[in-house]
Amino acid sequence: MNFLSPWFLLGSLAVAGPILFHLIRRAARERTTFSSLLFLRATPPKAVRRSKLEHIWLLLLRSLCVLLLAVGFARPFFAHDISPRGAAAQERRLILLVDTSASMRREGLWDKARATVDRYLDKTTPSDQVAILTFDQQPRTLVSFADWSAWSQDQRAVLARQRLAVVAPGWMGTQLGLALSGAAELFRENSVARREIVLITDLQEGAKLDGLQGYQWPAGARVIVERLPAKQQSNAGLEILEPPAAIAGVEEDVHVRVANSGDSRKEKFHLGWKGSSERMEIYLTPTQLRTFTAPKPPVGMKSGALELTGDDLDYDNLSYYAAPEIQHVRMCCDGLGATNDPAGMFYYLQRVFPATPRRQIEFASQLERQDAFAVIATNFAPPEIAVWRDWLEKGKTALLVLTGADSGPTLAGLLGLPEAQVTEAGGEYALLGSIDFQHPIFAPFDDPRFSDFSQIHFWKHRRWEIPASVKARVLAHFDDGSPALTQIPVREGNLLVLASGWNPADSQLAVSSKFPPLLETMLDWSGAGAPSRYQFRTGDAIPSPVAIGASVRWQKPDGKQITLAAGAPFAETDTPGIYHAFAEERERLFAVNIPLEESRTAPISQDDLARLGVPLGLENEQAAAIARVHQQHLQDAELENRQKLWRWLIVAALAVTFAEIVLSGWLARRVTTTEAML
Amino acid sequence: MPDVLPAKEAGFVDPKALMAIRNLELRARVVVEGFWSGLHRSPYHGFSVEFTEYRPYSQGEDTRYLDWRLYARSDRFYLKKFEDETNLRCYLLVDHSRSMSYRSLTYSKSDYARTFAATLAWFLNAQGDAVGLFSFDERVRDYLPARHRHGHLRQLMLALEREPAGRATNLTEPLRRVAELARKRGLIVLISDLLAPVGELENHLARLTAAGHELVVFQVLDPNELAFNFPTAMLFQDVESEKDLYIDPEAARASYQRRLREHGEGVEAVCRKLGAAFHGVLTDRPLDLALLDFLRSRVRRGKLVRRRQQRVSK
Repeated sequence: MNFLSPWFLLGSLAVAGPILFHLIRRAARERTTFSSLLFLRATPPKAVRRSKLEHIWLLLLRSLCVLLLAVGFARPFFAHDISPRGAAAQERRLILLVDTSASMRREGLWDKARATVDRYLDKTTPSDQVAILTFDQQPRTLVSFADWSAWSQDQRAVLARQRLAVVAPGWMGTQLGLALSGAAELFRENSVARREIVLITDLQEGAKLDGLQGYQWPAGARVIVERLPAKQQSNAGLEILEPPAAIAGVEEDVHVRVANSGDSRKEKFHLGWKGSSERMEIYLTPTQLRTFTAPKPPVGMKSGALELTGDDLDYDNLSYYAAPEIQHVRMCCDGLGATNDPAGMFYYLQRVFPATPRRQIEFASQLERQDAFAVIATNFAPPEIAVWRDWLEKGKTALLVLTGADSGPTLAGLLGLPEAQVTEAGGEYALLGSIDFQHPIFAPFDDPRFSDFSQIHFWKHRRWEIPASVKARVLAHFDDGSPALTQIPVREGNLLVLASGWNPADSQLAVSSKFPPLLETMLDWSGAGAPSRYQFRTGDAIPSPVAIGASVRWQKPDGKQITLAAGAPFAETDTPGIYHAFAEERERLFAVNIPLEESRTAPISQDDLARLGVPLGLENEQAAAIARVHQQHLQDAELENRQKLWRWLIVAALAVTFAEIVLSGWLARRVTTTEAML
Repeated sequence: MPDVLPAKEAGFVDPKALMAIRNLELRARVVVEGFWSGLHRSPYHGFSVEFTEYRPYSQGEDTRYLDWRLYARSDRFYLKKFEDETNLRCYLLVDHSRSMSYRSLTYSKSDYARTFAATLAWFLNAQGDAVGLFSFDERVRDYLPARHRHGHLRQLMLALEREPAGRATNLTEPLRRVAELARKRGLIVLISDLLAPVGELENHLARLTAAGHELVVFQVLDPNELAFNFPTAMLFQDVESEKDLYIDPEAARASYQRRLREHGEGVEAVCRKLGAAFHGVLTDRPLDLALLDFLRSRVRRGKLVRRRQQRVSK
């Protein structure tokens, strides 16, 4: 039998009370009245050994009552193991999760991380299963459980150290939440009870904890945080922002976001382009994040780096910049009417694509090979059709507007069909019935705020039957069921067929607010548009500058060259710097930088992890021992609460008290009767 | 200290049997009549004598008491001087405090004291003396002036029959009050257990004797108060103060008896000093004997007075 509050057993010493009172012959019932105590003096009580049997019973009952109460208050329980851990309790799965993000490049941190891993490897027992994972943007397995099990016991630690020796902190951000949940998922494979993740990190405030909120941790998993103590240093970082979409006639500035770390002691920094002596003074209080307009880059600079000076740590003080290229797009427009004719279609088209600092659009009437996009609203003779079809098949995109029933041969020719039936639709007007918002062209409108096309009246439209042999995707139907906008692949290229025009005689499309974005998305989709982004972070994938066509040759900042197929994004952005992409005899520049979060190096508290439900364990043996004692106490309390023996003891004490009352009452009556008889 | 006589001595009435009679008047009567029947053989005579004297008249005195017969015989003016009342005025002072309720016999000290007072009253009344009553505890509860008239004895008996209700024994206040109320000289019989500090007793008794009263003191005690026989050690509660005291009788007896004796001797010494008679009476003593004690003291007192008169006449 165990006790939850054993110190209450001291209360059993109170049993001395009844014994003492029984020894002192001073029973309250022996009392008499006397005429006057004037001549009497109190006699000190005399201890007399009692030997009457019934008084011993009374004494026993009273002592028993005291003892029962004392034991009851001590809350006894019968111990047995209720812990869910069984025989597998000794077996342990240990994951060493090592941070290799950019912030770990700080002086001395990586050595400490390796020392910590060594310490844990030294402490492993043969029954332990160990895996080593590194993480920055995403977790990577360095040593898996399978590797560990496959190695011989005496080689395990050595081999694990060898693998770790070739790893060094990279330049990536810290996705701590992803890493923790990814590591915890490894525990789900088997049912070992002791599951520990040792998180070896600097626990900087820039670490992202996404995905931890509400994460269902595997049963028994514990996270032991080994925070690597970093020297307190003032640190600030910068990041050049992606320039916003260019606006016609507005000169572009370079905007840079600067963050000062929470534990920073400095507030004054300088910004300037690398290689230039011009410096701009900026002020930030600790934890502050501000956006500045960077100094003007040197004229004609295509790429460069903006430098921040004034803080103690310099691994994050450069932000690379790739200037957005000025894009020349040649668009062939045939049969759209005169430039200044509001009844024609070209009048509206040219207004959709104004010239901006980043894009120059050249409208041409003759098709040329380099044209990226074409708008056709005329009927061609068969030789012309062959040229156009040849152009399309090379991966180009054209928008064919059906202007009348005579558009059939052109349509059939471009699609390579013997014939295509196009008829003028009758009726008052048509509206767009169903629209395929999954298609990239309509995807930007896939929002209830923008998806209302019902205001656009089509006064005239043409009907045409899509032959079964053509793999067409109808992007929009008229309300009479005929296709309004159809995408038909032509080898590598695409033909978009619009069954009505946007000239006022045909429809209200040109005066609708949907018209410019619709044509813009068509141009982007065709691949004729410029890349939308030039600034990337380490770990981001850079989209391929060309969607169709030949392969793209990528060059990393260290000179390493990689060739990828067109359309395949480039993912090896592991180093900050300027990346080059060579495609179609053109070179494009992209800047890759360290995430700004990596500059926020102030440590966060483990409580932040605990708040997100991370089952934190304890760092050292002493704390673990305290935790075990605490756990044992909780278990005891649970057992005691289940058994509730104290209730029975209190009931017994009450019963004994009752017996004592009955017995003493009987004794008193007996004595009185005896006295009366005398 | 009283001479302890066996209760069933020489034909006296056993107090236990006497106390079985419920009526106080009847009890008194039994005692007195029994006493009288024995008195025929007694060598003592009555003590109440009329006293008359003649005094030459002085001018200005009230002429009501002139003895015209003597004037007729002797041609002199004499005043015929009487005692106001020719008979004895007796005041019975009966303690009604709660300490008197103690009993180790079938009756309490109070029962005994009241019976004794009733006996005296009956006896004196039968002799034609005026009897008055003061019953007191810490102050005077009942007061009946000394009279000898029809029905007075009956009132007195009723007053005596009241059970003791007071708490403490305090002789100071009652004795002061008696001195105020009993203006005319007479006999004062104090019946009490006197279980109170002697302290100012002497002063107050002296006031009474100084006023010309004749004083007889009866101290009534229970036999167990004297013997202090209790079987075991126990808590003793004072009936008056209700104070508890743990006492082992074996250990306390000697010192208790010594203190009680000293107290009695102290009271007796005071009485002797003041010329008062002191009698200690235990409640198992026959009342006849107590009455006899009283009469003896009267006789002694008579002799004393006579001697004093003789001395004056010489």
